Amino acid sequence: MDPNPTISSLSEAEFASLVSTIAADPARRNELTELLHEDHSIYDERGAATAVRMRGWLLHTLSQVGVSDEALVFILEELDTGTDPYLVAAAARAVRSYSKPSSALAPFVMRAISNIRYRDEPVSFDEYGEYVDDSSGTSPVRELLATLAWLGSNARVVLPDLESIKAQPHGLSKKRLVDLERTLEAIRGAGEETESCCELPRGLKDKFSWGLKSRRSCDPIESTVFEDQNNEAVTFGEFFCGQPSIAVFFYTRCDNPLKCSLTVTKLARIQNLLSERGLANQINTAAITYDPEFDMPERIRGYGQNRGVRLDSRNRMLRAQNGIESIRRHFKLGVNFIESLVNRHRVEVYILDAKGQIASVFERIHWNEQEVVDRAIEVLNETQQDASEAPEKPVASRKTSSPIFGALASVALAFFPKCPICWAAYLSFFGIAGLDRIPYSPWLQPMLATAMLINLASVWLRARATGRMIAFYLVSAGALIIIASKLGNGWEGLAIWGVGLTLAGSVLSALGRRKRSVDAHA
Amino acid sequence: MTTKRKATKKSKAQRPRSARAAMSVATSENQVVKERVAAMAEVPLLVCESDKDLQKVLEVLRNQDEPIEVRLAALQSLQAASFSVIAFESCRGDYIATLRKVATDPNAEMRQRVLGILAREKDGFAIKKLLDGLKNPDKALVPPEKALQLLSYDIHAEAYPVARAIINKPPNEDAKREALRLLAADAKSAPVFEKLLRDKNETAEIRQVSAAALQALKPDSLQENARAILLDDSDYDEIRATSLTAVTQFGDEESVSKDETLKKHVSRMSTKGGAKVKRGARQFMSKYGK
Amino acid sequence: MKVELQINNSANARARFVSWAPSPCRIRVTDPTGASGPVVVVNLSRTSAASGGDVVFRKGTTGLFANTLALKVPINGTSVPFFVAGKFGQPSSNNSDVRIDAKVAASLVGAVKVMVRIRKNANSLTAGERDRLVAAFAKLNNQGAGRFADFRDMHTAVSSPQAHGAPGFLPWHRAYLLDLERELQNIDPSVALPYWRFDQPSPNIFTLDYFGVSDPIGTVQFSPTNPLQFWKTDGVPGINRRPFFSTAVAPPGLLTQAQTLALGAAYAQFRGMEGNPHGSAHVSFGGFISSIPTAARDPLFFLLHCNVDRLWAKWQRQFARFDFTVAASYDSGANPIGHNLPDTMWPWNGITGPPRPPTAPGGTMAASPCVSAPGPQPRVRDPLDYQGSVNAVSRMGFDYDDVPFA
Repeated sequence: MDPNPTISSLSEAEFASLVSTIAADPARRNELTELLHEDHSIYDERGAATAVRMRGWLLHTLSQVGVSDEALVFILEELDTGTDPYLVAAAARAVRSYSKPSSALAPFVMRAISNIRYRDEPVSFDEYGEYVDDSSGTSPVRELLATLAWLGSNARVVLPDLESIKAQPHGLSKKRLVDLERTLEAIRGAGEETESCCELPRGLKDKFSWGLKSRRSCDPIESTVFEDQNNEAVTFGEFFCGQPSIAVFFYTRCDNPLKCSLTVTKLARIQNLLSERGLANQINTAAITYDPEFDMPERIRGYGQNRGVRLDSRNRMLRAQNGIESIRRHFKLGVNFIESLVNRHRVEVYILDAKGQIASVFERIHWNEQEVVDRAIEVLNETQQDASEAPEKPVASRKTSSPIFGALASVALAFFPKCPICWAAYLSFFGIAGLDRIPYSPWLQPMLATAMLINLASVWLRARATGRMIAFYLVSAGALIIIASKLGNGWEGLAIWGVGLTLAGSVLSALGRRKRSVDAHA
Repeated sequence: MTTKRKATKKSKAQRPRSARAAMSVATSENQVVKERVAAMAEVPLLVCESDKDLQKVLEVLRNQDEPIEVRLAALQSLQAASFSVIAFESCRGDYIATLRKVATDPNAEMRQRVLGILAREKDGFAIKKLLDGLKNPDKALVPPEKALQLLSYDIHAEAYPVARAIINKPPNEDAKREALRLLAADAKSAPVFEKLLRDKNETAEIRQVSAAALQALKPDSLQENARAILLDDSDYDEIRATSLTAVTQFGDEESVSKDETLKKHVSRMSTKGGAKVKRGARQFMSKYGK
Repeated sequence: MKVELQINNSANARARFVSWAPSPCRIRVTDPTGASGPVVVVNLSRTSAASGGDVVFRKGTTGLFANTLALKVPINGTSVPFFVAGKFGQPSSNNSDVRIDAKVAASLVGAVKVMVRIRKNANSLTAGERDRLVAAFAKLNNQGAGRFADFRDMHTAVSSPQAHGAPGFLPWHRAYLLDLERELQNIDPSVALPYWRFDQPSPNIFTLDYFGVSDPIGTVQFSPTNPLQFWKTDGVPGINRRPFFSTAVAPPGLLTQAQTLALGAAYAQFRGMEGNPHGSAHVSFGGFISSIPTAARDPLFFLLHCNVDRLWAKWQRQFARFDFTVAASYDSGANPIGHNLPDTMWPWNGITGPPRPPTAPGGTMAASPCVSAPGPQPRVRDPLDYQGSVNAVSRMGFDYDDVPFA
């Protein structure tokens, strides 16, 4: 969230001016994407219609300055689940400013046409917040058709859908039929497809996962009290800790059927998929309301039941008894409010592990029930694997033994005797072990050198993984000094420094931890 | 032969004229208003089939020189056509554009109807106009009570602050009532409704709206308050009858069945008190017995 | 001696409802004490309460109905079938206000009370019928938390292409009304959905004890004893409905019943009634009922559509259009999905995603203890034969007071 306390009190005119200022500065354009996050304070206490105007203007601005991979997910979200003509039109325009037309974009555009065609109406982007009272300009369907034309050959996958619309006896207006014809010509007449079908552009993030060790603890909300659909109180820890869960967010007054209503309906389908696989007792499901003040137990029970959700001790509809704030912060929910009422939210589905930690999140774009179940099963299996694994060498020793061995090789190389007499002298220290009987073995020196280099490589790889290169630098310096001490007359004293640096670097390397595998939720 | 001629004549009279003929009358300035209004009612499906006819009717709607009755009939005809969603797809863009144009019409009835249609579509243009009008009465296109009523079509509109302001300083009782109805969607307003429900100085209508709002926001509170009202013989019949309905229809059956004090009291009410109270009491007694 | 009578071939007391279309019934001897032979002759007759309904009998699937029926019933318990139908023109006013008596000689050996449950003109309901109707509606709504929310969600801007602007308009709404009516009957089985005869004055409907009186801005007022005062949809209490006409008279500009029935003998012509009188009736008000996205928020919507359905039923009776295999009974052609005869209808089919809406509220069609049709996932063609005229199994268990069976 933006720390600037005044940004939420900007008037709409000031907001439009801010957007222009940001857009004019190429170094700041990423801020436009930041402003699209629902939980940004710019949307605090704004009505839904205001939020629509603001977001639509942002999307329109992006269409003028160019759309990054990070911004693309917001645009695809609008095409996927948007029902407001202004926003859908703006999103359609914005797609055309994305640098990589791809056949993966076409189904989104087509889906938007299905969603919006019976709500087509004139829109304008000439000025912020403008509503038009004549139909000579543009409309969401017009923009969507233009985007399909822009996709050209990449839109061939949706040709049958477009031809079906054309064939309908009633349907698009004359003007839109002209646009449709143009689009069909553009698609048919374009060259070969530029990319393979159905893969979203790289860098697009709508699913995130965290490894076992990098998940945030649920301590902050473990004692948060919920009330379920039967008025029963249960804490977060009581319900979500002990076995994995799939949790969705919703509220009963959501007026977009492509969001909450569909999300909860899909939760019911997830329950069926889990039952089919015999996992209904091993993975919990929950739907948590964004609107606990209004969504009382009877209301959420009816909402769930009317959508086929099974309700029992492992499958619940929940409201946070003392408000949504702590939950909102912990999950970093994509939602904002006007007073207690949601003004905008994203679709979000969470998979929690047996400790109640967030293992995965699916957000914005329509999620696939099977994929969510598959991921939940992975989380379940990691839980079971953890529980069933036999005790073995402590992780710490496994992780540290490798660099220590390498360090010892470096030390050994540093002090390798130059002659058989020194050799005998060294090994006499180990008389008890009987090592003094080992003959002088000069061939050991290159072997130790090789071991040292292997250790160096190992430390380098580990440094990359942990993000801490200092260990590698230390070990490298130590190795160089040890080698130098062997080469030069009178430089033997340097070996001690080489050993010290090597040991220090090796210890640091052993204690370093892997950096987190992602990103936007950090 | 005579019978057959009579039957033909009767069926011709029964069969409506063709939509084409009706359109011709409806859009002709030479026809009398009454005929044009009647003809407009026959053209809804034609506007979906012909862009030319659609534009004719839209033009009548826009044209402030046309008689208002004909313009309103044109509006109704288009509205009726909009129910045929698939067929109306080709008309919708022009229809919405025209509605926005006409939302600021000099005629108050036209403005009210058009803003109502747009508000039910959750049109941002209409919501903005209505809110602007409440914040600045000089810009108001409809009376405040109507604006509040239309804003209630979209609970996500930012109308709560202005609704609260109107409750504190209502321009009239209707506006206060509509502000309360709108706030019935605001969970934080439950205390307001509790207070109004028990305030005997408030009108019956306000107390009834408060009861309905509380039933949705805090059902337990309504049942408690309703019970207290029923046991208070000094309260007004209207609100006592509302309380009886609330308890009879939506009370927890187990706890009401065991509430002998309440049942005895209501039993007495079924023979004393005004007609509405008696009726409500009898409904209660038929469910919960003697 | 005792006999058991089963109405609609069911021992379930909730199946004791008949309409004009004949209901299959059966009788069997349960206690043969006093029988002198292997078969007894049982005489069926009926007794009606004052202002109650009346029934008629028939032995088989054809032939005339009569006020009495004599049946030879074996004493070994074997069932004997027969048919009961409501006597056209005499619907019930209350539950169980007709008693079917079974006598052997002069002795009463069995009886069962039934209701001739018929959809009537809403303007003519008795006070009791009216009160039961509004109470059932209010219960179904349950201040916004009840099952009515599903019916509201079935009729929105997003779902409207499934049911409007194409031939499936009439079958879809018939199924929709039936689903709602059955849910009302789960609350109170004596309730039948009445119709608002919009081409005639219906002043009784728009009263404080019934569907309310609109104030000048269109907020509907109810009597303090009317449970509809707690009506809530989309999180907001109340109903917005502003008539553009005096409710003492009919709204102007609507096609009359006669004009509607004269639209044409083919369905393709008749379905033009979607514009007028259907659309025109909707827009004779301001408020919820006048726009598709909000129309189903007003319970009057269902009475309006009940009349639309009744007009269709009358047209079907007039032109014998119950058989979907007859071309003129429907408008087949290049129709969108959900509007072709073999198509299953959303939301009962549970199919979601384009070209259907994203969710399917309400689940499958409500079942009835009286009939099996139209089944949990009706097709567009199923509602045409609602009386079972073509195929008795297609009977759906409802009838209109002025549309006979044959």
